[in-house]
Amino acid sequence: MEELVVEVTRTDEKGNPKLQSFNVPKDKVSTVLEALLYIKENIDPSLSFRYSCRMEICGSCGMEIDGKPHMACSTTTESLKGDKIKVAPLKHYNVIRDLAVDIDGFFDKYKAVKPYIIRDDENVKYESELLQTPAQFDEFIDYSLCIKCGLCMAACPIEGSDSDYLGPAPLAAIWRYVADNRDQGAKYRLEIASGPEGTSRCHFVGECTEVCPKGVDPSYAIQKLRGSMVKYEFQSLFRRH
Amino acid sequence: MVEENVKNLREGPMGWVKFYRKGIGYFAFAMHRFSGLVIVFYLYLHLFVLSHLLVGKASYNSLVTSVTYGPFDSFLVLDVLLALVIFYHGANGTRLALNELGIGLHKNKVMFYVFEVIAMILLGIFLYYAYMFLGAS
Repeated sequence: MEELVVEVTRTDEKGNPKLQSFNVPKDKVSTVLEALLYIKENIDPSLSFRYSCRMEICGSCGMEIDGKPHMACSTTTESLKGDKIKVAPLKHYNVIRDLAVDIDGFFDKYKAVKPYIIRDDENVKYESELLQTPAQFDEFIDYSLCIKCGLCMAACPIEGSDSDYLGPAPLAAIWRYVADNRDQGAKYRLEIASGPEGTSRCHFVGECTEVCPKGVDPSYAIQKLRGSMVKYEFQSLFRRH
Repeated sequence: MVEENVKNLREGPMGWVKFYRKGIGYFAFAMHRFSGLVIVFYLYLHLFVLSHLLVGKASYNSLVTSVTYGPFDSFLVLDVLLALVIFYHGANGTRLALNELGIGLHKNKVMFYVFEVIAMILLGIFLYYAYMFLGAS
């Protein structure tokens, strides 16, 4: 049977990275996650990685495959050129063990942008849902598809050199709510986005959009957000405080 | 989780120059930074050379003639490379400024190629006239 070499960047007992190669059966339909599961079940049970749904919904199995962030569950080994694939933990995160990274920092940033509908009339009970037209729905639906896999954070070179930068996914989340006509929390979010670690740090590299498995296009969202911020800041000059 | 075993894979600025399997936007970004640094370095070098005028004409002439010999000296090659860097940086900067205004956000790759091709044509025209000027003098 034809074999595929999977070179995994693991952590040794001191926490330093080390390379280890494994031979797994090669076929046309298996994913990288299945190759890793084969290694764990048949060769080395100590190999650590995070996964759950196996269908690109949970966002758990993000890892660097052949030098680029991918979801292991939706990347087939056939789609990668050659008989050797390199698998490493996502960059810009703390590595817990082998391919499992600590995503707390990413989630802290995500929570900081208040990713939920904020209403000025919170205590008012509505008799029906807040209705939207299809056009209003289209404004934000693409950005609500984010599965918080964090691949964009690993792909962004600014995130790689400044840990305080909010990053593509949290900024895209801001735009998702700013673009939603039901939301009235723009004043809180735009304050965060216009801060020193907000959209001004984005240099429009576009790698976040390149790697996003759900087609969210964070780089476009950040530029749209910039436009809204300029409008908001301009209006604030004439606003009574 | 054993805290002392936690390793951060943050690459820092070194990650900016790793192009492997990256998109054209990444290349544009990295070269924009590199060209920006070259331009800043040139600015200070230029000011350093010009500052010799404060000492006197002889000092300035001595410095300039010590680094330039004839029309095809090594500094002429550096001048051409400097022009290349400035034209690249200007074209990419114009593209980014348009992006900031919301223009061409979904046609970024096309815009990059179009702007760079225009910049290289302008560079060619500039170099042609510079060469003609050099020949005339």
